[in-house]
Amino acid sequence: MTGGVRAWLEERLGLEALRHVAEKKDVPVHRHTFWYYWGGMTLFLFGIQVATGILLLLYYRASADEAYESVRFIMTRVSFGWLIRSIHSWAANLMIGAAMIHMFSAFLMKAYRSPRELTWLTGMALLGLSLAFGFSGYLLPWNQLAFFATKVGIDITGAVPMVGEFLARFLRGGEHITGGTLTRFFGFHVAVLPALATAGLVLHVYLVQRHGMSLPPSVEDAGRPVPRMKFVPHFLLRDAVGWLAALGMLALLSALFPWELGLKADPYASAPAGIKPEWYFAWMFQTLRMLPSHIAGIEGELIGVLGIGLGAMVWLASPFLDDPRGRGRRARLMSALGVVALVYIVGFTLLVYRGPKP
Amino acid sequence: MRAALRWACGLVLVVALAALAAHDTLAPAVGAAADTAAASPAPRVTTEKNTCLDCHRGLEGRLSAPTKDFSQDIHAVRGLGCAGCHGGNPRDPEMSAMDPEKGFKPAPAKKEVAEMCASCHANAEYMKHFNPQPYIFSMAEFRTSVHCKKIEEGDPKVATCTNCHGVHGILPPRDPRSPVHPSNVAFTCAKCHNAEYMKGRTVPTNQLALWRASVHGHALLEKGELSAPACNDCHGNHGARPPRTRDISLVCGNCHGREGELFAQSKVKETLEFEGKRGCVTCHSNHDVKPPTDAMIGFDGDGVCGRCHTPDSPGARAAAIIVPGFHGFKARIARADSLLIVAERLGMEIESGREMLKQANDHLVGLRATLHSFSLEPIQAALAEGSGLADRAEVDARAALRDWRNRRIGMALSLVVIVALIALLVAWIRGMERPTA
Repeated sequence: MTGGVRAWLEERLGLEALRHVAEKKDVPVHRHTFWYYWGGMTLFLFGIQVATGILLLLYYRASADEAYESVRFIMTRVSFGWLIRSIHSWAANLMIGAAMIHMFSAFLMKAYRSPRELTWLTGMALLGLSLAFGFSGYLLPWNQLAFFATKVGIDITGAVPMVGEFLARFLRGGEHITGGTLTRFFGFHVAVLPALATAGLVLHVYLVQRHGMSLPPSVEDAGRPVPRMKFVPHFLLRDAVGWLAALGMLALLSALFPWELGLKADPYASAPAGIKPEWYFAWMFQTLRMLPSHIAGIEGELIGVLGIGLGAMVWLASPFLDDPRGRGRRARLMSALGVVALVYIVGFTLLVYRGPKP
Repeated sequence: MRAALRWACGLVLVVALAALAAHDTLAPAVGAAADTAAASPAPRVTTEKNTCLDCHRGLEGRLSAPTKDFSQDIHAVRGLGCAGCHGGNPRDPEMSAMDPEKGFKPAPAKKEVAEMCASCHANAEYMKHFNPQPYIFSMAEFRTSVHCKKIEEGDPKVATCTNCHGVHGILPPRDPRSPVHPSNVAFTCAKCHNAEYMKGRTVPTNQLALWRASVHGHALLEKGELSAPACNDCHGNHGARPPRTRDISLVCGNCHGREGELFAQSKVKETLEFEGKRGCVTCHSNHDVKPPTDAMIGFDGDGVCGRCHTPDSPGARAAAIIVPGFHGFKARIARADSLLIVAERLGMEIESGREMLKQANDHLVGLRATLHSFSLEPIQAALAEGSGLADRAEVDARAALRDWRNRRIGMALSLVVIVALIALLVAWIRGMERPTA
């Protein structure tokens, strides 16, 4: 019976080819193999996001009058609603954290070198989409903190030269953050971004599959043959251990630190004291906060936005700027750049949470 | 010559026609003005030179005093000159300007002041020229005041309009510099109502000190709440006198509406009147009203019930029911509140509990007013309803705390399952990768 179904599916889907790919795929084993798991971890957390997001959609209402009340309803009246919402929120943060670890490990292991330039670019695009998911999702509960954090975020977007004002108006859907902004962000969060993310994810995974795992230059230079591990089941089972650990972490965080709802957004209220964006935007926020109002007659915020933009462009272009072999002075310079960026981001993020209050 | 005569006749004709046309145009306006004047004379607004001030400024002592602050006087600001009150001819630079035959009136005697002010301030039609919603002074009301009565008796040391409002530098009452601005009234009254000025009279003179320390004085002077009562809010201003004993609850009830209403309907009011006690003042005092506290309810400590009721009286028996119920209700609110705080700190959603507790607190405020009915039935009903709300808030808080514990247990169980699965996976991987013989 099972064999009959398998044959039927085989005839229509060509599962044999997939099985062949799975059997053929392997992963190099060396002292940096640990960092290979972070891509899978990001994907797993994305899956959690999709699943919990769909459950939240069953009750969430995207309007300024009902959004806050519907989230409160989810948290207080829907069975395990509090858990679903907390997992959704915590998984979002963990996913961005995992994506950042994945990005830095890829950068420092120079995994972007030819022919994996597009893998890097699609990965960066996916990270950008993850940040957009976080930014758009943060406003959806329509609470006071989200309202003002979004306002600050969009105001910063407005400082981008030439297109900033248009972008800010586009995001807000007008001059101010209103129920229209909420509806717009909801649309981005559940339709536009998932579509783009799915496409990007398919392309990224295809490229990883096509080019296989990259070896860091230090492993390549050792000159010894690198042992390999079958992806199925050895690497996948190890992945599953990590995913289970992430699931346990989510259960722990959701039960011990359930995501708060706070007060309903009131556009006429004054901004809460010490308002700050989500942690993954904190380093940019701190950079702009520390800049003087004017530098050589130019607005400090404008210089900050341009500097961050320029840094992002250099980061994005790393595969083309680095030495293709990953060796030599240029390669060392790029590695140093990666370390500086990592220290800068971690340091400035900590400054927001632990540093002196402005 | 003939031509000149023709020109002159023509000119006279043109002027006559122009005058006729002007008369036709102006006549309705003049007529309307005359009608208004008949009902109420329009204010004599001074736009030209005031010779009164020109001369009096150069004089000395009391003759120049009126000119000192007159420029900021509300009358001057509104365009009224000296002649508005004193008559005479302000355009005449000579002494003849003050000719009594031309209507000049010198400074009025004390007993004439109120009538002089009333000639304008009691005239609604006239006062509406300055304010569409004017305060209309009433001589009839003024005559009810102790001040007016004393003046009529010939007492020279009693206040009339100018003693409180000033004379030639009168400011509107809403001006914070005015002596009758709410924040200054008590001090203005105390200019006369002090031990030295009132020497030889039976009027108490410690009111200012008592009022300043009272909840009302504190609210007005320290917190700047201009709606808090000063002397005039309880005694009246132009008809100032001590309220009658039976009127005290009505006076207090002007602001404390619900309490005043319930007290007015209570049997306690009648009893107090019968015993010659002064309503609200019996428990709350008058000038030195302290912030009311819940400790005032009952016989123990700061309780005021024992001031009238003996321990075996019906009032004491009612208090034995009300007091524990009241404090029990407060304890229920406090308990629910502390549990809700704990639940909130643990990150639980407690909005419905908070809403019920808010309603319970509203009931507590209402109950404090209901106590002034001195009737067991409505007090017990309010107690039961409020306590029910506090209990429901507590149930909500306990449910949230129970939920929190359940979440912990759920988390622990899920972690056990997850750790077990991880252990199984690790064992599986190791088993799979163990080198076989």
